[in-house]
Formats: sequence, structure tokens, C-alpha cells
Amino acid sequence: MTLLLILLGLLVLALANVPIAVALGIAAVAAMAVETGLRDIPNIPLTLFDGAVKFSLIAVPLFILAGAIMNASGISRRLIALTSALIGWVRGGLSMVTIGTSLFFAEISGSAVADVAALGSVLIPSMKRAGYSKEFAAAVTSSASTLAVIIPPSIPMILYAVMAGTSVVELFVAGIIPGLLGGLLLMAAAYRVAVRRGFPSDSSFHWERVVSAFRDAVWALTLPVIILGGIFSGWVTATEGAGLAVLAAALIGGLVYRELNWSVLRKATLEGGIQTAVVMLLVSTSALLGEYLTAMQVPQQFAEHLLAFTESKWAVLALLNVFFLVVGLFLHSAAAIILVVPVVMPLVHQAGIDPVHFGLVLTLNLGIGQQTPPVASVLLTACSIAKASIWEVSRANAIFVAVLLVVLLMVTYLPAIPMSLVEFFYR
Amino acid sequence: MNASRPRAVLNRCLEAAVFAIIAALALLVIVGVASRKAGFSLVWYDEVAAILLAWLTYYGAALAALHRAHLGFPNLVQLAPRHLRFGLVVLRELAIVLFFGLTAYLGWGLLSVLGGTFLVSLPWLPAAVVYSAIPIGAMLFIAAELITAVEDWNRDAHL
Repeated sequence: MTLLLILLGLLVLALANVPIAVALGIAAVAAMAVETGLRDIPNIPLTLFDGAVKFSLIAVPLFILAGAIMNASGISRRLIALTSALIGWVRGGLSMVTIGTSLFFAEISGSAVADVAALGSVLIPSMKRAGYSKEFAAAVTSSASTLAVIIPPSIPMILYAVMAGTSVVELFVAGIIPGLLGGLLLMAAAYRVAVRRGFPSDSSFHWERVVSAFRDAVWALTLPVIILGGIFSGWVTATEGAGLAVLAAALIGGLVYRELNWSVLRKATLEGGIQTAVVMLLVSTSALLGEYLTAMQVPQQFAEHLLAFTESKWAVLALLNVFFLVVGLFLHSAAAIILVVPVVMPLVHQAGIDPVHFGLVLTLNLGIGQQTPPVASVLLTACSIAKASIWEVSRANAIFVAVLLVVLLMVTYLPAIPMSLVEFFYR
Repeated sequence: MNASRPRAVLNRCLEAAVFAIIAALALLVIVGVASRKAGFSLVWYDEVAAILLAWLTYYGAALAALHRAHLGFPNLVQLAPRHLRFGLVVLRELAIVLFFGLTAYLGWGLLSVLGGTFLVSLPWLPAAVVYSAIPIGAMLFIAAELITAVEDWNRDAHL
């Protein structure tokens, strides 16, 4: 009964546009009052503070800061130039460059919104000037940005690892093959659209241009080696790797390239601070609700009910896929992870699903959710840069979303795709 | 009522705080890694870094409120007729003031309970300073929310 009241209260507050974090807090306080009277109410500030004191989540603002430094120091521009020299000659070259640069950028940034904002502001106007429709330009940039959350480092994976109590490094490794696969399949889809609609290539191929762009970008290319090499080799933890990313990006941007734009850096840092705080407030207030859910054994009951219906882990994965695709339509990925992961984890364990495998399935699901309105922060950012209608862009984006759904099915039902590297290196 | 001056002052203060916390956090993690690799781990590094994250959460949340950046579902309120919209806006503001008002009130109580205690890893740092981000952040959140609500409503009235 109390659970029903919580859900009803959350719905009413959400419809009044109360921030989800606050709605969660209010629902949790109400549930506490109903279940235990005023006994636990004085502990609210302590629970809120302890909920926000998560050392592993320090990686979130630091990876955002590293991305901000990259963007403020011309690193993104150099990556775009290199990718353009490498694959710009293909039909639909600029869309290939967009996807290819996203593959590079994803290895340093862990946020799809940061990716679409950084690359879209350069590549969407370029595509429009080259004769691509603004809807297609926004769609390909938006979908390519999904790679940022699949390829390590990934902020949703860090959040999932904390909420599910699993290894962030294994999750990062599990994302490598699905990310590369996603990038290649998105390129194939973009090529098909380019041929059908007669989009031009960007430029002809010249070895001299490749060599010159490579020389200019070589320091930028060392960033993923430093960050991911440090984390995967166990030399640093994921959080320390994020600190290393900040240091390396600052040194390369400030000392090697000497073009750190302070005003861009300040703005991006503050935006990153706001993004982090929005996610962390959710983490903090969900700790209040988590206490109630744990005490009432809601996740365990949920698992028992669902497993009474089917015990097949493939059927459970199918149900969870459908569930998260629907959740992704209405919730930001961070909110979805914080709200839903603690509830479904007992089910995942009891069904015999590897939590790292499930983490990849979830991340991809919620990445797709950021491409599907009404709640689609990545798609909305691309639309705002392209000055295009969200519905027209969604139509152009259908082919790329279909590609991402194929990758999701492959990752779900061919566990070797995400898990083979994890098995090889860590188990 | 013109809310632009209070907004500018609050925005500047919160931006300075958020920027300083992020910079301190980055610096601390870098120093923490360097010192560990150099063979003299700082025992307080991870605890202080986690505390800075909690501060970023609450001061950043107030800044996010000022920028209307918190995750929610604004569609129904935007589509609602004016009289219903007024009711929904009032419900939203009441909910936020109630939750953060309670948090601030209980948070101040917690600070008086903690008076005289210090962190284990940093014995010179009072626990009350560490936890002060909760009541202060909660009050700043309410201030940011009310300033923004007044501005939004005034703008809406002129449309």
C-alpha cells in the first residue's frame, strides 16, 4: 500500500514538474513517516550527505572537465581534421567524419551530450554548408554520440557500477567491441543514405594531408592511451584515471598546443559542474528511498514475481530490454540508472545474468533512449545546434536508431561480443 | 518584482563556489595519485575528495536550480491552461520549499549535534564544517528556486 502511495505521489509531483530528485526525496520522507513514524526523520541530512559521498563518482565531474579542456584547447578540432583526412574521401564523407571522430572522442569523453555539443557545433554547420539536409546532419551527429557512452570511459557505466556494485574497469573493457561494432554499422548506414541521396564526399585522399593531420593530432591521440592504458593496466583506478585525463588534457592543451581558451573552459566547467550536481542530487535523494525499498525488500519481491513468470535468463533479458527502452523514452539515462538499477539487480543476479553483461545491455538501451523523444537530451542538443524540428530529425534518425537496436540485440544475445575481452583479461 | 539583481549575485557566488570545488577536486585527485605513486599515500585524500563531491552536489544543485537544469517533466505545465498552470507552479514551489526547508532545519540541528567533533583522517577539520553543505545548500536551493519562479511567472505574465 505504501509503495502504491509512493508511486502515485511521484507521478503527481513529476506532472507538476517537481525535479525528479526532489520528488524522490519527498516520496521517501512520506514513506518513512508512514512506516516508522518520526523515528528516522532526523537522520535525513545524514543519509543525504552519505548518499553523495561516493568516491567512485568523482570520476564523473573529472571526465566532464577533461572533455571541457579538450574542447577549449583545439583537441577536438585536430581529431576532426585527422578523421577528415583519413575517411573524408568516402561518399557522404562528412557524415563518416562525424562518426569516426565520435569514435575517437568517445575514448576521452564519457558523455554523449558533451560529445554532441563539442562535435556538433563544428560538424553540423559544415554538413549543412556541404548540402546535407539539416535533419540528416543532426541525426547522424546525435546517433554517433551514443558511442561516447558505449566506448570507455563512460559516465553511465560509472553510475551503473556504483549502483550495481560491480567493476567499472570490466564494464569499460566490455564496451570496446560493441562500441567499435556500433561505429562501423553506423558508418555503413550513413554510407547507404549518402549514396541514395547523393551526398558528396568531403575531400579527396592525399597521404600528405593524412601525415600532416596525424602530426598535428599526435598529442591528442596519446590521451586515450594514457587514460585507458592507465585504467586497464590497473596502474590507476577509474577515478584516478579521470584525474589523469584532466592533467594530460591540460598539459597537452596548455603547454603543447598553447591554445587553451579560458572563457570556453570556464563555461564548459560550470556546465559540467551543473550536470554533475543534477546527477549527484538524484544519487543523494535516492539513498533516502533506497533505505525504504531495502527495508521493505521491494527489489527481492519484484525478482520473485518476475521469476515465477519465467526463469529463462534470455526471456528476462528480453523483458528488461523492452522495459528499459520504454523507460528511456521518458527518463534521462542517469535518472533511469539511479532509480531502476537497485530494483532490478536482485532479478539480474537470480536469473544468472552477468552484471557486467547486463551493464552493457542497460547502457546501450539508455543510449538509444537519448535518441527517442520526448525525453532525448542528446537528440535535443543536436536539433538545437542544427535549428531543426525534433520530429523531422527523429524521422531522419530512424535508420541510425535501427542500427543501434541491432547492436543492442547482438550485445544481448551474443554475450561474447561484450564479454570476450573481459573473460580474456580479467577472469 | 524584479529578481534579476538577486539572481546575478547568487549566480556569481554559486559559479565561483562550483568552479573552485571542481578545480580543488581535480587537483586533489592528481596530487593523491602522484603521492601514492611516489610511495607516500595521503591518508585523508579519498575522504576529502568524497566530501568535495558532496559539496559540489549541494552547491551545484542550487546553481542548477537557478539555471532550471534539474531533470523533470515540464511538458504538462507548459501545455496546461493558465489557471491550472498557476496551481501546478504553486505545487512545485511548495514541494521544493517543503523538502529543502525540512532538510535545512534538520541539517542545522545536525550541525549543533556534531559541534566539537572532528574528522578522523583530518583531526583539525570540524565535522560541522563538512556537513554544513547540507543546510546551506538547501537554503540556497530554495532561494534559487524562488528567484527563478518569480522571473518565470513575470515573463509569462507579459506574454
